Amino acid sequence: MNSWFKSGSPWVWLSAGGVSISLISVLGLLWLIASRGLSYFWPADIYQFETVNEKGQAVTVIGEIYDRETLPTKQLSHLNLGLDPNKETIERILVKTGNRELVNLDFRWLLLPLINKTSKPEELVVVERRTNGNFYGYVDGIILDGQLEGLEKMAELVERVDVFQDEMAELQKVDIGAINYQIERLRLKKRKHILDETLTVEREKEIDHQVASYNADYQILETQLMAIRDKVSRDQLVVRAMGGEIIEINFEDILKITYNNKLSVFGRASVFIQQIGSFLVDDPREANTEGGVFPAIFGTVLMVLLMTVIVSPLGVVAAIYLHEYAGKNVLTKLLRIAVINLAGVPSIVYGVFGLGFFVYMVGGSLDQLFYAETLPSPTFGTPGVMWSALTLAILTLPVVIVSTEEGLSRIPSEMRHGSLALGATKAETLWRIILPIASPAIMTGIILAIARAAGEVAPLMLVGVVKMAPNLPLDGNFPFLHLDRKFMHLGFHIYDVGFQSPNVEAARPLVFATAFLLVTIIVSLNMTAVTIRNRLREKYRMLEH
Amino acid sequence: MISVIPRTLAPKVKLDLNNLSPEQVALEIKNLNLYYGDKQALQNISMSIPKGQVTAFIGPSGCGKSTLLRCINRMNDLVDICKVEGEINLHGENIYGKHVDVAALRRQVGMVFQRPNPFPKTIYENVVYGLRIMGENNRRVLNEAAEKSLRSAALWNEVKDRLHDSALGLSGGQQQRLVIARAIAIQPEVLLLDEPTSALDPISTLTIEELINDLKKQFTVVIVTHNMQQAARVSDQTAFMYMGELIEYSDTNTLFTTPAKKKTEDYITGRYG
Repeated sequence: MNSWFKSGSPWVWLSAGGVSISLISVLGLLWLIASRGLSYFWPADIYQFETVNEKGQAVTVIGEIYDRETLPTKQLSHLNLGLDPNKETIERILVKTGNRELVNLDFRWLLLPLINKTSKPEELVVVERRTNGNFYGYVDGIILDGQLEGLEKMAELVERVDVFQDEMAELQKVDIGAINYQIERLRLKKRKHILDETLTVEREKEIDHQVASYNADYQILETQLMAIRDKVSRDQLVVRAMGGEIIEINFEDILKITYNNKLSVFGRASVFIQQIGSFLVDDPREANTEGGVFPAIFGTVLMVLLMTVIVSPLGVVAAIYLHEYAGKNVLTKLLRIAVINLAGVPSIVYGVFGLGFFVYMVGGSLDQLFYAETLPSPTFGTPGVMWSALTLAILTLPVVIVSTEEGLSRIPSEMRHGSLALGATKAETLWRIILPIASPAIMTGIILAIARAAGEVAPLMLVGVVKMAPNLPLDGNFPFLHLDRKFMHLGFHIYDVGFQSPNVEAARPLVFATAFLLVTIIVSLNMTAVTIRNRLREKYRMLEH
Repeated sequence: MISVIPRTLAPKVKLDLNNLSPEQVALEIKNLNLYYGDKQALQNISMSIPKGQVTAFIGPSGCGKSTLLRCINRMNDLVDICKVEGEINLHGENIYGKHVDVAALRRQVGMVFQRPNPFPKTIYENVVYGLRIMGENNRRVLNEAAEKSLRSAALWNEVKDRLHDSALGLSGGQQQRLVIARAIAIQPEVLLLDEPTSALDPISTLTIEELINDLKKQFTVVIVTHNMQQAARVSDQTAFMYMGELIEYSDTNTLFTTPAKKKTEDYITGRYG
């Protein structure tokens, strides 16, 4: 035993154990969020349960099984349901029943012993809708332009509506959006002239004329929109809910009609892929609890890229000064310690700093100087994507500085001397020799900065993230990139959907799906950076002395 | 009385080192004192280095020979605590004068270090680095200079087909010759070699020594070496230094056959060092 200890094996086991625990926790985490998140997209079986309600009446419940749990019989004994008292536990299932227009709750608990019959009729259908969530039930028929018809044209009609909906979205967001944007700019231009006291009669006439022409365009588009709107609401789907209620759902609300129970494994897989696709590219619906997360993906990536663009040069320049030019004295040491300590400041504090300094001070001053015509409504004096990127840049600055400095100090002095001896100045040496060799280390700093910034939520809540941004920060209107706009962020989206939405239970799978997506995005951003770094490493491989 | 038999590579010219005419002098060191903080590393050194010849500095480790060499192109400026007094004259002008452009000085006085230090760039880019720094971007000029310098450094035939491969793929000896090519590409007047073969194998060493012998046709070469045979083989003049002092400075044959000072004799016969 003693010799076993001396051999060092326990140490090997201990360290290997540490590695295994880390590995298992990482894989476990990924597995959990991936399985929970991805199962949200898999078309589940739709069941029809025959059971009894509290009053003892027979009822039919239709829906997807969501969850299962066992609870002590005692807990339900006061309800007098006629349960077997000898059994200590009882199982119950959570069923997603949808049909929000009929019942307020999306979910219902069913006690297993009270279910008399369970079946999976093939005709059961799940209708995904733009409002009111899913509908579960049977399709009875189609009202085509007022005439009741069979089901043959169902798929065709869903597609027809999709086309119109896309057209309408395009009209509203792009064309009408652009006109509104231009009119607003003209209004501001006029106001600026008034403030500067440069508004001449001709100018006013000119501006009013332009506004009038835009308004005329707007009227045309508005008419087009109304025409499409009329077309889109032409047909209805007649459906029967679990209680036998007959409901007409307008096709304009319908996104997808799926006979889940009829689908083969391949059919389900194709629906699964479609669902993931629309999750990635669609806008959110129903207070973010349904639909896709595209604006949040876009916001997250854009903000991280902006942050990278800001933090990299700043951090590198600061590191160069500290390492190359600053005198090696107490002040430099203090400065370095201060930089390292900055990394330990809680992120919410950076948020407060960003709000106070960037948003109110810098942004407020910018508004006073350049956007006086829009006041009192602020342009840059309000949280926005630029302030978020700047705040996170400050937050991740220490990481970049520290890794760059480390990279600089690892470069052998022979490289510098070699260049200096050839008549290069210090700056030329830095630019042509030192920085390229240090670039992998700089990339390491950037990778760490991205990893930290992409996962940060707390400071962003103060400086730019919102639950629902009406416009993306990037669009077709000059100057295309609107840095003053607020944006959506996946991290905040998770918090919002999981804890702030009206229907937390229904949104839970979405939380996992979004979390999985966030992890995927951060990992892919990092992998890109790692690939670049490895290329640079290969290129500037140091001499192996 | 000596243990070293010099294998001369070229007929050595015997000069009267104390009475050189101004045209014969490449560098003139006058009363040079150097301090690292409180410690004096060079003590009142005065010597003239003749043009177009190879001058070797020998001496035991820590005697100040590398320090003296680094004074000639002011590489010691990079050491914060280093302080220099005295003069080194190049073209009759003190390189430690107030208005000297150090970068321009280093273009006139090139340097090769102990360990080969090619930049992590291609062979071609290494050679033309100095020219690019000088602002030369004409492709034709650069190509010509690269070929000429690589030929002068006896490397052309080995690398002409892979000029655009990484310089780090070359062997140690080739890297050192590349570094020499890089140094001579900018046509310096003086070339300083700081123990250029100490990190190389005997064959590469021999190649470099032959190269040094060729180089003196174009440049004034100053070499620091801890290898006395090497000094005897390649140099025309040898300076022996000990504890920061210049003990003896004369033509190589005299120094190795009939040293004037006891310390020199003890050193070259291997009694210390």
